[in-house]
Amino acid sequence: MKIGIISFAHGHAYSYANIIRKYKGLELAGVFDEDESRGRAVAAHYHTAFYTKLHHLLAADVDTVIVTSENSKHAQHVMAAAKAKKNILCEKPIATTAEDAKNMIACCEANGVLLQVAFPVRYSTPIKRAREIVQKGGLGKILAVKGTNRGTNPGGWFLNKALSGGGAVMDHTVHVVDLLRWFMDAEVKKVYAEIDHLIADEKIDDCGIVTMDLDNGVFATLDCSWSRNNHYPTWGDVTLEVVGTEGTLGVNAFDQKIDVYSDTEGASWKYWGDDMNEKMILDFVDAIKKGRQPFVTGDDGLKALEVALSAYRSSESGQTVLNS
Amino acid sequence: MLKVLLLGAGTMGSVHARAYKSLGNVELIGIVDRQEAKAGKLSANTSAKVFTSYEEAVAKLNAIDVIDICLPTHLHKEYVMKSIGIARNIICEKPLGLNVTEAGDMIAACEKNNVRLFVGHVVRFFPEYKRIQSLLKKGSIGTPAVVRTTRGGAFPRAWKNWYGDFEKSGGLILDLLIHDFDFLRACFGNVERVYAKKLNREDAVGENIDYALVTIRFHSGVIAHAEGTWAHQGFSYGIEIAGTKGIIDYNSAKNAPLKHRSKGKKMDGAAVEVPESPLASSPYRDELKHFIDCIVNGKDPVVTAYDALHAIEIAMAALTSCETGQPVTLSTGELTRGNEI
Repeated sequence: MKIGIISFAHGHAYSYANIIRKYKGLELAGVFDEDESRGRAVAAHYHTAFYTKLHHLLAADVDTVIVTSENSKHAQHVMAAAKAKKNILCEKPIATTAEDAKNMIACCEANGVLLQVAFPVRYSTPIKRAREIVQKGGLGKILAVKGTNRGTNPGGWFLNKALSGGGAVMDHTVHVVDLLRWFMDAEVKKVYAEIDHLIADEKIDDCGIVTMDLDNGVFATLDCSWSRNNHYPTWGDVTLEVVGTEGTLGVNAFDQKIDVYSDTEGASWKYWGDDMNEKMILDFVDAIKKGRQPFVTGDDGLKALEVALSAYRSSESGQTVLNS
Repeated sequence: MLKVLLLGAGTMGSVHARAYKSLGNVELIGIVDRQEAKAGKLSANTSAKVFTSYEEAVAKLNAIDVIDICLPTHLHKEYVMKSIGIARNIICEKPLGLNVTEAGDMIAACEKNNVRLFVGHVVRFFPEYKRIQSLLKKGSIGTPAVVRTTRGGAFPRAWKNWYGDFEKSGGLILDLLIHDFDFLRACFGNVERVYAKKLNREDAVGENIDYALVTIRFHSGVIAHAEGTWAHQGFSYGIEIAGTKGIIDYNSAKNAPLKHRSKGKKMDGAAVEVPESPLASSPYRDELKHFIDCIVNGKDPVVTAYDALHAIEIAMAALTSCETGQPVTLSTGELTRGNEI
């Protein structure tokens, strides 16, 4: 399968490119990047073609594209690819507005192409196991969930609202919301959020605690802050603490780690668990090959984005808001 | 030698009795409990007399310097009020009262009668929390931004399951999270607003579990998230503070310096691990030692009755938020006494 990558703005593009390179049936067939020097450098590194125009990449011998541009550019890039009949894996969040997301979903449907949103945490083996326990009734009736998806401030365009659509809340709400929906087959109906910029100098939100009511009666909170500092042993986390009538469950997607104390590299946690990105790319390719629905749809991306947008509306109004 | 009358020989009463026995300048002269055997057990190796009623105790004892109230929360106000005029000093377990009005009335009555009132917010005396406070003061992590606390374990078992009776204990938010509310306020100042969620009554009582997640915004800007649980197994507590220059992280479940496992006697008997964090002087002893020092030397305590009142104010805001489903903004500045939210 010939895969093109649209932009290396998002760092995950490098992970995806490395995975593509690792598998014989997959080929990185070309790169487009608005940042020409970056695009040329990565194309040279991965021994693939660089295109200065998106339509050139889309006209080339490419079956599939991965969109890893800045969040606000997802819409234009996804819709251009859809119109060129390419199947698409779009980095999260799907877009920065619900309108963009809806247009993207409709455009992909109209053109008969597959659209998957990159929620790799669904592919984490400990997370999958946790869902299995929950869904088999191992906790009885679920009552509450405490989630975290904290991280290091990514800097760069992530701090430019016109490109990112928002800071930590936009970046880190969608993963856990997707897990809540996936674990419980429920939707978020009400949102309250405390959001602020308290850590970095840039005036964009880097701290957030989001509280959600789901339509199955469960309440959940999420810490989506970019609160991991330089000397913290890792970049961040994804954790869930699930409370049910028959028990509790705690899962940490990145706790399969070794503690390293190095005089040259400092203290760090080295992850040794399964690679969720790799499992996601392979499943995306499998869905295309089999012509089946992707595991994570555009609608899943939209539903998660809506909660992030609701969180911002709540913070601005100082009230709870209905999620829509 | 200060003469202390202890009311209640339950879990906290036992802890306090043990602490008094080890303090040099205190004499435990009486222990009151409806269950005479319990009080009797605590009186071992002391000169304390055992009583089954408060009235009997105050009638038979002379010159009580301190009355220490280790009773269920719903009895605090009644016994604080009764103790005024009997003793010049009252030590009361946390939470001080079931609501702001009760706490305000107790403080007002004590002030009016020149009685000193101390409230057992023992977390202030836990060395790990004291260390955290000093690290914050030193600026080790810059300006605090996002704070997460956790506290709890299994549903507490006590006399007639009074913890399970909301009217008697105020539930998890008032009884347990009050510790974190007080500590957070000590670190980050006054609270602006609170948003909270807890299990609904049917789920909580039916399963004998409770769980709450509370978001607190401080005037300083700090955002805190407090987890309170009576749904887990094994008591633990923790706090993480992320600031502009670093992170402070402590969790008692991950930092147990001593773990004792006894070999199960039966083949199928899984050994229960009992974690301990041994200290030469327990935080409860340190707390009572400090209160006694304040009484003897006329010092101000590190945690005041007003701090206790403010912690209740936060708990009440959280409970109101749970009921209304909306954030609750606290009145700014110092509360007037008895001011209900």
